[in-house]
Amino acid sequence: MPPKVEREKCDGCKAEKETLCEQVCPGDLMTLDENKKAICRMPRDCWDCMSCVKICPKGALETRIPYQLGFHVAKLIPLMGTDTITWTLIDINGKVERFHYINRGSLD
Amino acid sequence: MNDKITPKVGMFILDEQDQLHEFIDLDSIVQKLSRTKNMSYCEVLKNPKTEGILASVQVKFQSGQFDRILWVGRFPTEQKKCLESELGNAGLNPYLNEWCDLEEQGIGKERGDRAIKTQKAMIIVQMAMARTRLLEPLEPLQLPGQESVLIIGAGVAGLHTAVTFTKLRKKVHLVEKESGVGGRVASLRRLFPRICDPHCGLEFAIQKLSKSALAEIHTLARIKSLEGGPGHFEVKIEKQPRYVNEQQCNACGECTKVCPVSVPDHSEPFSTSKAQDPTAAQKIWSSRKKAIHPAEPIAFPSAFVIDRHICPPGCRECEQVCPVQAVELEQQCSETTLKVGAILIATGWDPYPLFKVEEYGYGLYPNVVSNMEMESILEDSPEIKVVGFIQCAGSRDERHLTYCSAVCCSVTLKQVIRLKEKWPQARCYIFYQDIRTTAFDEELYQKVKSFDQVIFIRGNPATVKPGDNGGLKIRAEDTLTGSEMALDIDLLVLAGGMVPSKGSQETAQLLKLPQNPFGFFESHAPCHPEESQRTGIRVGGACWGPMNIARSVESSHRAAMDIMPFLNETILVDPRIPVLNLAKCDKCKRCMEECPFSSFYFDADGFPALDAAKCRQCGSCMGACPLAAISMRHFTIQQIAAQIKAVKTSFIGKEEPVILAFLCQNDAYYAAKTAADDHLQIPPNIIFIKVPCAGAVNSALIADALSFGIDGVLIAGCRDGQCHYVKGNQLVETRSVDLTDKLKKMFIEPGRVRFEQLEIRDSQRYVDLVRSYVEELKRMGPNPFKN
Repeated sequence: MPPKVEREKCDGCKAEKETLCEQVCPGDLMTLDENKKAICRMPRDCWDCMSCVKICPKGALETRIPYQLGFHVAKLIPLMGTDTITWTLIDINGKVERFHYINRGSLD
Repeated sequence: MNDKITPKVGMFILDEQDQLHEFIDLDSIVQKLSRTKNMSYCEVLKNPKTEGILASVQVKFQSGQFDRILWVGRFPTEQKKCLESELGNAGLNPYLNEWCDLEEQGIGKERGDRAIKTQKAMIIVQMAMARTRLLEPLEPLQLPGQESVLIIGAGVAGLHTAVTFTKLRKKVHLVEKESGVGGRVASLRRLFPRICDPHCGLEFAIQKLSKSALAEIHTLARIKSLEGGPGHFEVKIEKQPRYVNEQQCNACGECTKVCPVSVPDHSEPFSTSKAQDPTAAQKIWSSRKKAIHPAEPIAFPSAFVIDRHICPPGCRECEQVCPVQAVELEQQCSETTLKVGAILIATGWDPYPLFKVEEYGYGLYPNVVSNMEMESILEDSPEIKVVGFIQCAGSRDERHLTYCSAVCCSVTLKQVIRLKEKWPQARCYIFYQDIRTTAFDEELYQKVKSFDQVIFIRGNPATVKPGDNGGLKIRAEDTLTGSEMALDIDLLVLAGGMVPSKGSQETAQLLKLPQNPFGFFESHAPCHPEESQRTGIRVGGACWGPMNIARSVESSHRAAMDIMPFLNETILVDPRIPVLNLAKCDKCKRCMEECPFSSFYFDADGFPALDAAKCRQCGSCMGACPLAAISMRHFTIQQIAAQIKAVKTSFIGKEEPVILAFLCQNDAYYAAKTAADDHLQIPPNIIFIKVPCAGAVNSALIADALSFGIDGVLIAGCRDGQCHYVKGNQLVETRSVDLTDKLKKMFIEPGRVRFEQLEIRDSQRYVDLVRSYVEELKRMGPNPFKN
């Protein structure tokens, strides 16, 4: 399921030519709409890699989990450190699980 | 990173008279740390004397036992400097010293449990150790500079500063939009406090400049564009045609005699007013000038100038009569590019347009004049019997200027003194709100008060109407006595305020310099007064704020001092500049947006690149980068991340929360340090890292801290409007809001990230703050990532 954009938060990366989510999206799906806010132009083509969610400096993006896996409440949220990534997984019952990983070599 | 040589750290712990032993278990710390990775030498120093320390350290360093030093303990600043320089001579780069002060972190004699203190000290030393491993040797940067300076505005401030620059053997380019130099001051006739002629001082400066080979004056010129940075500014200036050859003209004045047109030579505000009878007004105070006339306001350069827009079409009288063929009616605009190391702006002020203050009839009645016009009336007019002066005409008034222009009171007093000098029988009424004669100007006030026939009336007049025999009728109330009065006067002088000149506004827009709400150049008033927020560009004189002549010369000299470092062949820059990791950079431009000093530009490939000379090393860019691709040297993101990782989160027991604080080194750090020095009861839960500015804290670092199980992250910066780097505290505030919103989604209490404003002397507040935060975190329970 496509990324959901929190429109009040998104600042369109200060209306640069290419936003960060646009650059990072492997399917080149993200773009800016007429209000200079990020938007996924082909929701069906998104394969939920969450690259855009991870990179967004404003925390304005969120990936909705496909209904086969979760429903409304369910969320998967990454938090990026300098060389760490921390996942918060909230399942349909609201149960929270957290995973913390250290990325290899990302600081070099 | 793998190809680097393994660092060898030497650790020296200063334990004067076993002080540390008393409250922490130093032996266990030394024992444990001596086994850590990269630690190759460990010693406890008992003697705090510099010579003693040097003797033992120098030999071991030279024998190659270690290549960097971690100093633990409290070393006085002077001693640090001395040790760094002495070891520098021995070959140790000063940036390979790391100073770890346990006391400032709150590990003191009085408070707390010995075991906890030992644990905390261990963590702090380990954090410092983690950082020491990653230190890199740095050398000051040497950038090319220019030994020339550009001064915009050849008024009193510009001229006097130009003279000083030539004395310092610096090339000066003086750019002036008028045809001659002198500026606003040249149109004055007398200066307080000595009631002397301003041309005397100006002429003195002009003579010096005309004799100096280093000064170049560009009149009728304006700034067109600005490229480059400090040390290598390229300024394009556009020169309006003078229509007279500057080199050939000998200022004989033959041309003026034949010139068929003449126009009133009056100051700007009146020409834009709705004068009913301008000719009558001009009779009193205005002279006339020809289309070809000497340069204004002071005829330097001596060549004449033609106001081409008033020339009758086809007239070539002056060209025919000129004995040296200096008139060149076909001259065109020309452009020159100047290469300068730094820029001083001294664009001065304009008088407030008084016709906006409608109640006093300026522009309606010929004998209502401004204080600037009064200058020449005083010298040229026939005797005047009764004069009224209105102070604060349009100043300290919500409808006009809300500020006080600082000089108008003294100007009026000066004019009264001059008036009484010329016509001792004249009567003066001075309507005032408050007489503000600061410092020595009070003498003027006392002198004027002693005059006969000078009456001070508190309260500004209600109405100004034309009276009999061309005079004015004024109705006013003396608010001190409550009595009403009607007065007949011959001349009314309005003491108008100062506003930034039109040239200042243009310059600000062109050079993209911030302005304050009044249009003057913005600066960090108490700490860096002549600061323009652009490195290498300084602001001096009245374009920075209303001030008198002495202050404006003084201010421009201060500004000149500040730009001197850029006027050398090489500029030395502190090596702690931000470095971009281009492999990671996504060209998002956030660093450029958030840099308060516009230090970044796009390089040929579209990546942001740093102009190191412009950078003030605040680290706002480092905090802004969403990819953590920017690192300040000596304060790299890797070093801080390593420090964060070294924090053990359960040193005071599982239940007690651990707070990691990022403290701004300008304010908050001193608050914390003083709190420790004053032996205030700081909870042991807090460990801090000193940062150049709160704005340098990257969200990724906060995410790191939280994900390693630190319960609360406190970022403390300066109070609003007090940040040395303009807006670091605001930047971090908005960033933490973004982060806390994300934390909410993650079911983590947003209160785990907190931003606070601290002043340098807020040590008690700092302690209270930490205490309340500890309580708050206890209520929240441990961080879910804590293990």
